[in-house]
Amino acid sequence: MISQKTFIRRFLFLSCIFLSLGALEIASAQKVPISFDQFHGYTGTEKYLKSVAKAYPEITELKIIGQSEMGRQIYVLVVSNRSIGTSLDRFVQLQNKRKENVRNVNPMENHQTKPGQWICASTHGNEYTGTEVCLYIIDKLLAGYETDDDLTDIVNNQSFYICPIVNPDGVYNSVEKGIPQRSNSLLKDDDGDGKINEDGPDDLNGDGVITWFRYKDKKGRYVIDDQDPRVMVRASRNAKTEKERWSMILEDKDNDGDGKYGEDGESGFDLNRNFPEGWFTKDGYQGGTGKYPTSAPETRALAEFFTNHKNIHQAQFLHTSGGFTYRPMGSSGDNSMHPNDIAVYDYILGKKYVEIMGADVPKAWLYPDSLSAYKKELAEKSKNKYAIKRGYELPRTWKVSYNEQQNKGYGYGLQADWAYMQEGVFSLTTELFNYRTDLPGHKFEGKNAYAEYQRAAIKYQEDNFGGKLFKEWKSFKHPKYGEGEIGGWLPQYGSNNPFPGEALLKICENHWQFEKFRAKLMPRVAIVSASGKVLDKVGKYKIVEVTAKVENTGQLATHLGNGAKLAMNRVDVVWLIGQRDKLTFLQGATWQKVGVLGGKAKIPTQSKGKNSAEVKWIVKVQGNTALKVVLSSQKGGTVVKDVDIK
Amino acid sequence: MGGLIMKTLNKILISFSAITICLTLLCTADLQAQKKLQNSPGGYHGEMDFPISWKQYYGYEEWTQIMKDIAKKYPKLAAVESIGKSRMGRDQYLITITNRKTGAAEDKTAMWVDGAVHGNEVNGITCSLYLMWYLLTRYDYDTYVYDLVNNSTFYILPGLNVDANDSYVSFPNTPHNPREPYRPEDNDGDGLYDEDQTEDVDGDGELSSMYIEDLKGSLKLSEDKRRFVSVEDDTYPGLRFKRLGSEGFDNDGDGRINEDDIGGPDPNRNYPYGWNMAAGNPYPMSEPCTRNAYEFHLAHPNIFATFHYHNTGRLIMFQVPQPVKASTAQQSQASGQYSMMGRRGMTAEQRLEQMRKENKYAQYFDRKVPREFQHDMDVQTNIVTMGARILKNYRPTMGGLSGQTAASTYNMLGAYSYLIELWGTPTFDIDINNDGRASEDEYMQWIDIEMTGEGWITPHKFNHPDLGEIWIGGSAKKHMSRTPPDRYIESEADRNAKFVMYCASQFPKVEITDITSTDLGDGLFWVDVTVENERTYPTASDRTKKLKLYDKDVLKFSSSKGVSLIKLDAKLPIQDPYQSSGGFFGFRGGGSRSSLSPGTAEETKLWVNGKDKKVYRYLISKSGGKNWVEVEISSERGGNHKMRVEL
Repeated sequence: MISQKTFIRRFLFLSCIFLSLGALEIASAQKVPISFDQFHGYTGTEKYLKSVAKAYPEITELKIIGQSEMGRQIYVLVVSNRSIGTSLDRFVQLQNKRKENVRNVNPMENHQTKPGQWICASTHGNEYTGTEVCLYIIDKLLAGYETDDDLTDIVNNQSFYICPIVNPDGVYNSVEKGIPQRSNSLLKDDDGDGKINEDGPDDLNGDGVITWFRYKDKKGRYVIDDQDPRVMVRASRNAKTEKERWSMILEDKDNDGDGKYGEDGESGFDLNRNFPEGWFTKDGYQGGTGKYPTSAPETRALAEFFTNHKNIHQAQFLHTSGGFTYRPMGSSGDNSMHPNDIAVYDYILGKKYVEIMGADVPKAWLYPDSLSAYKKELAEKSKNKYAIKRGYELPRTWKVSYNEQQNKGYGYGLQADWAYMQEGVFSLTTELFNYRTDLPGHKFEGKNAYAEYQRAAIKYQEDNFGGKLFKEWKSFKHPKYGEGEIGGWLPQYGSNNPFPGEALLKICENHWQFEKFRAKLMPRVAIVSASGKVLDKVGKYKIVEVTAKVENTGQLATHLGNGAKLAMNRVDVVWLIGQRDKLTFLQGATWQKVGVLGGKAKIPTQSKGKNSAEVKWIVKVQGNTALKVVLSSQKGGTVVKDVDIK
Repeated sequence: MGGLIMKTLNKILISFSAITICLTLLCTADLQAQKKLQNSPGGYHGEMDFPISWKQYYGYEEWTQIMKDIAKKYPKLAAVESIGKSRMGRDQYLITITNRKTGAAEDKTAMWVDGAVHGNEVNGITCSLYLMWYLLTRYDYDTYVYDLVNNSTFYILPGLNVDANDSYVSFPNTPHNPREPYRPEDNDGDGLYDEDQTEDVDGDGELSSMYIEDLKGSLKLSEDKRRFVSVEDDTYPGLRFKRLGSEGFDNDGDGRINEDDIGGPDPNRNYPYGWNMAAGNPYPMSEPCTRNAYEFHLAHPNIFATFHYHNTGRLIMFQVPQPVKASTAQQSQASGQYSMMGRRGMTAEQRLEQMRKENKYAQYFDRKVPREFQHDMDVQTNIVTMGARILKNYRPTMGGLSGQTAASTYNMLGAYSYLIELWGTPTFDIDINNDGRASEDEYMQWIDIEMTGEGWITPHKFNHPDLGEIWIGGSAKKHMSRTPPDRYIESEADRNAKFVMYCASQFPKVEITDITSTDLGDGLFWVDVTVENERTYPTASDRTKKLKLYDKDVLKFSSSKGVSLIKLDAKLPIQDPYQSSGGFFGFRGGGSRSSLSPGTAEETKLWVNGKDKKVYRYLISKSGGKNWVEVEISSERGGNHKMRVEL
């Protein structure tokens, strides 16, 4: 294991390199400057979030939603104007309450009463590009507040829940320690020797970093590149090759002297298989990870947060890599989804995403009126029954992880499946970074693309990072594998994350643009008018007919196709509020359901739901008692209006 | 082969008697004998060593104090710990009962008992506490209890849903509430959470029903004015009523009463197996109280069987394997043990009728399970047959999935699990005309006579702030239906404790019961080793085998230097003329479950079923004078045992 001191030395050293590159991004005019010329890791992210929460108390709040196995906090930064918002529980006065007085219900906070957008990253610890995207989005929101009308409006009237690191231990180990760790950490005795996590990767040659050891091995999965012997090219077991085969492993010592290397590290299990949707196999056995769905503290933190924030309408789970987005579902096909949701996903979200990524938009999305022709065309040439039904194949940049050709699930217990199916949220899994396109100044195509990328990437870090991200191979005698060489990429680089700086910024900017687009699609309810007409006067009482006109002024409906039917969800309701002993309801219940208010956006292939409603009451009021109308929508917001009595 | 003379040689010279390891431990002075041993059924068994009143229900503070006090009284046998905190911050106390001198709790095969996962079903608390008390107070007096506490572990969590449990006992409630943990829930979809709960409107300490006078009402007062009964004659001129519901106020002013009571998901739908969102929302194991209990179970793989107490219905709901898929199921074909009895072609009812001629508690369940799960099906059938006997008027029935505790216990952790629906209407005391039912009149007589007038709320007028003049009453009090009234608590608890103890007494115990050798001449011998488990439970359930949770049991052959083991082939049949007349049935069928397996190595891995007898045949060659062989069976859950014979 590397000592703390070595870490610090290494970081100071690397920081110097990055600083010498010059500021790649002039931070926006905001109070907590941030740059993206190095990965923030867990430590940097925590520091940034705390600074931001301190500097912007009016529009941010830092929440701890859970703790990892190793005791690191899972943070969510709420970005929303804290003084704007209202909630129903502030207007309804409860009388004659049960004496037991159990305090199990917390008052609603303002942010919970506004449409919510969840953005999280690094569920997989070694996929920390998303963390940077999260921080970039926070920076843009803060900078845009009170300088950009759209962003000011969004921060005032909507809530962002940004969780840059779902898996703190995985990120800490991957970035700070340089030990790539996809899973969470578990205090578990993997090898059954009675000791916990006693043998993880180590710095074998004492150069302060953990890189790779390569050695000749007949069963190896690599060969050395012809053009650049520093590059290791993957060669699958079955592939025929004349070249010598090599194996490549992380630098590692046998810490506990049991003859095995790295057999009991911190790594636990894949968090993105620990969610409750589709966790079991069809035969009733475990399909996903963990002892049961949500068994990991990280998974549970998310499940609990979504449960207590039913205002979340859209969610983004950032991963790497590939340069595309998966929309649900992964564990089942399109037939498990509401057709309206599929249309929103593809025609609205997908179209925009594909455009931002500079890829070709499917014809059907551009010309949905000709859908029947596309369907006919597909029926002849495609074997994908889902595509034929839709009228289009999903493009490479916007797809489902479910294998539509073979009708096979991608995995069990996926987070985006869960968020869509059980929480009723437009969820996405975005695989950031595509090595073919995301090395500045390059494009790689064809079957040698990866080797070409590797050669160019080594050159790139020489030009831009002083060659410090790639160690030259040096011979080393491994205690178990014998003669070989230590060197290669620092594990943070050259693999499934972009280089900090220009490449990272491009990804951040694209996905900020996309999330901004999504923010503008949110439902937003409004009370257009609330008026009272006095029908009669009886002594000190007035008989009043109250009419409220309500509307969803946002683009999308206040629920997904099946959203209102899910447990814990409800349709939009309108209450008439007045002092209880001075108000008697004669016609119309105190609160009335107005259903799910549709959005303004035209959704191809789907009929638009009604986006407005009228509610009436006839009530007896004493004197000049004031009346209010409150419209409460789980995902569309809560608004109040005084009744204008004439 | 006729020249061979079979001789049974030197039967067991030195035999290490049962539970070798335990015995050595038992030799410590402390455990030599039960000093206060009581053999007389009329004698004192320790009840007053730690007196507890079994004629009342206890609030959380009281029953957790009882647990702590009894653990202090019996420090060598009991320990109390908190397994976590409930939503409202109450500790969930668990008591572990075992004699730690005979081994650590986690090294012994264990029974788990939890009570009252549903807040209102607090009878489970008294039954759990009673089991705890019975085991501890009788330990010094009763050999049966002594053996159980020495050889196994009991983990008892008397109240699982502690927040709602305490409310049910300490505050006015209907028999049905509060049932769930206190996760906020918007039952009526009005945008508010738990905002309109029940209230004791008239402040009499009971939560009864509300009625309002109504000219067209369908109810009237009974002649004795204690009940609201149906109006038979539509022209009835007297006072008529309409039922409004349980006592309560309109807290939120929406014109409805009690429409959003406290409580979230059903905790017995919140476990992972067969979970569905509609019943078990928001996500599996979302409630601290259920999660803490399940996490404890996960951390204690020695838990072999579990009991989960509910009210009411007098049911033994036991978990069984899922049926074979309908397409392959041969519904008409008898399954399992029954088919071996050769009574095909009968309906389930006919079969049961036949079986009940011999044993009135006999059980038969019409479920065909995959072959690899047949033993679990048989074991459970045997256990609940005994349960029906011990609990008398309880009916065994196959349990469901849908996120229930017992379903996860069996299907995810492989432990045999039982959900007990405690109690039910005491028809045996109420019914006087012998129609097997408790009519309303009979019920009121029971209130007057057996209950000596206690337990009923007489209708009375009350001025309700939201409703004006109403009537309240005409119902039984709390602890009159869902949970048994005082006088029945102990009898219910006693039978249930006996059933749990019976199950623990059937935990697997493996033994080498016989070693015989047969001289084949020329220095060759067959050595036949009999491995037995007389108990009903196997060393591992079929489900744990499928889940690969346990290591197999190990049979170890060792010998003196002059003996060498000739390793036999696992698949070839053993040539033995003396067994051929018995033919196939000699070892494979015909009632005896024994089978002859070739001894292929010094170490053999095996599973030992319930009521199982296995014979391993080793081939050895012997040279020199005095020789011995020793065989040891070790099973994580069935214990260790060995036997040595001189040849």
